[in-house]
Amino acid sequence: MRVKLKAGPEQRTFIDRIEELSGENVFACYQCGRCSAGCPMASEMDLLPNQIIRLVQMGLLEDVLRSKTLFLCASCFTCESRCPKGIDMARVMEAVRHILDPKGKDAFGPGEISPELAKELPQQVMVALCRKFAK
Amino acid sequence: MKLHYYPGCTLKEKAVALDISTREAMKRLDVELVEPEGWTCCGAEYPLTEEKIVGLAAPIRVLRQVRDEGGEVLVTTCSFCFAVLKRANKALRDDPLKRKRINAFLRDDIQIDPLTKARTTDFEDYNGEVQVLHLLEYLRDRVGTPKIKSRLKRDLKGLAVAPYYGCRLLRPQEEMAFDEPDAPRVFEDFLEAVGCSAVDYAFKQECCGSYLSVSLPDAATEASYRVLRAAQMEGARAVTVTCPLCFYNMDSRQAAIKEKFLDFSGLPVLYFTQILAWALGVDREVLGLGEHAVPADSLFEEVPTTEVRT
Repeated sequence: MRVKLKAGPEQRTFIDRIEELSGENVFACYQCGRCSAGCPMASEMDLLPNQIIRLVQMGLLEDVLRSKTLFLCASCFTCESRCPKGIDMARVMEAVRHILDPKGKDAFGPGEISPELAKELPQQVMVALCRKFAK
Repeated sequence: MKLHYYPGCTLKEKAVALDISTREAMKRLDVELVEPEGWTCCGAEYPLTEEKIVGLAAPIRVLRQVRDEGGEVLVTTCSFCFAVLKRANKALRDDPLKRKRINAFLRDDIQIDPLTKARTTDFEDYNGEVQVLHLLEYLRDRVGTPKIKSRLKRDLKGLAVAPYYGCRLLRPQEEMAFDEPDAPRVFEDFLEAVGCSAVDYAFKQECCGSYLSVSLPDAATEASYRVLRAAQMEGARAVTVTCPLCFYNMDSRQAAIKEKFLDFSGLPVLYFTQILAWALGVDREVLGLGEHAVPADSLFEEVPTTEVRT
């Protein structure tokens, strides 16, 4: 994939903000790919977890924010337990979700759970899902 | 002996079986479970970014209440509650800034007693004094295998059960400090203590799809199938879980799994406390087997079906 890199203040702000929110050093990643190898949702993703972190390193904000991977992470922390550099990828994902346009549409909100489905679902899943994916 | 117990929202509604079997089993081990007064939702998800710190308020309020009631230990069974409470507790113990901010926020709390209308204010700062334990840890460390064995009333005859840890119990290891994330033992030891044989299989700490079962049901169907199929291939007659969401994904979703994957023939899913309660002599009618989508009754026959089968 050919990408045009920019190294302006906008990119720097994006990287700093992700590091500040997640508390993780994204530049510790050396792209071994163990996070993606163990990810149970990798087959559904357009960008793999290691690709997300690479794009964050390069400051490619738009590509990261466009990815549907952000809403496929179940925060199961398999990547976290396997990362040889100790990066908690689930935190990086959460940080990226955090900076999505606050006026934009929720990826998933309470309104999308029908009353019939709500009757069947365990309470914890509705709380957890909305906490993760609604603003 | 009294022990503080946090059931969490789901155990009062969709996972009554987990709540009832926990209470019945612990009664037989001489433990009386006490719920903290006026407990609220734990938040279900531990906030992963520094700026969502307000997500710590709910679990800390519960823990502070336990401390104010004189409790030193809080036991939970639901993996989500366990993870949130344990991580929030650790955050307050380790991080002076979080401790200061959350306590400043919770200082304004007013609690009104529903009966006497007495108002409680001026709560003392909470600094992580309570110890959060999962019931599996409590059974292993505080009750102990010898005591469990001495109270067994039924012989489960080595029923092959696959323990399913899922995501929340084990990881992140540094914070959960529950067991080895890639080679856990606590669930296996529990099953062997109550007379089952623990099935070893590849997917016991894989994710079942978690909350994606609502936003992306197909992905959760597939993830749950992988777990169930792996357990079945190793000869398991049931899978046992600690979490109501794992239960939902693996039990209620089995109709969808069977439709999509023709090599799968169904496998009962049990809460670990149902097995414990049964082994300790609790009646079958009390175990909440009516909540199961995949019938599990045959596993609870007085004469195990293994004897009838060839």
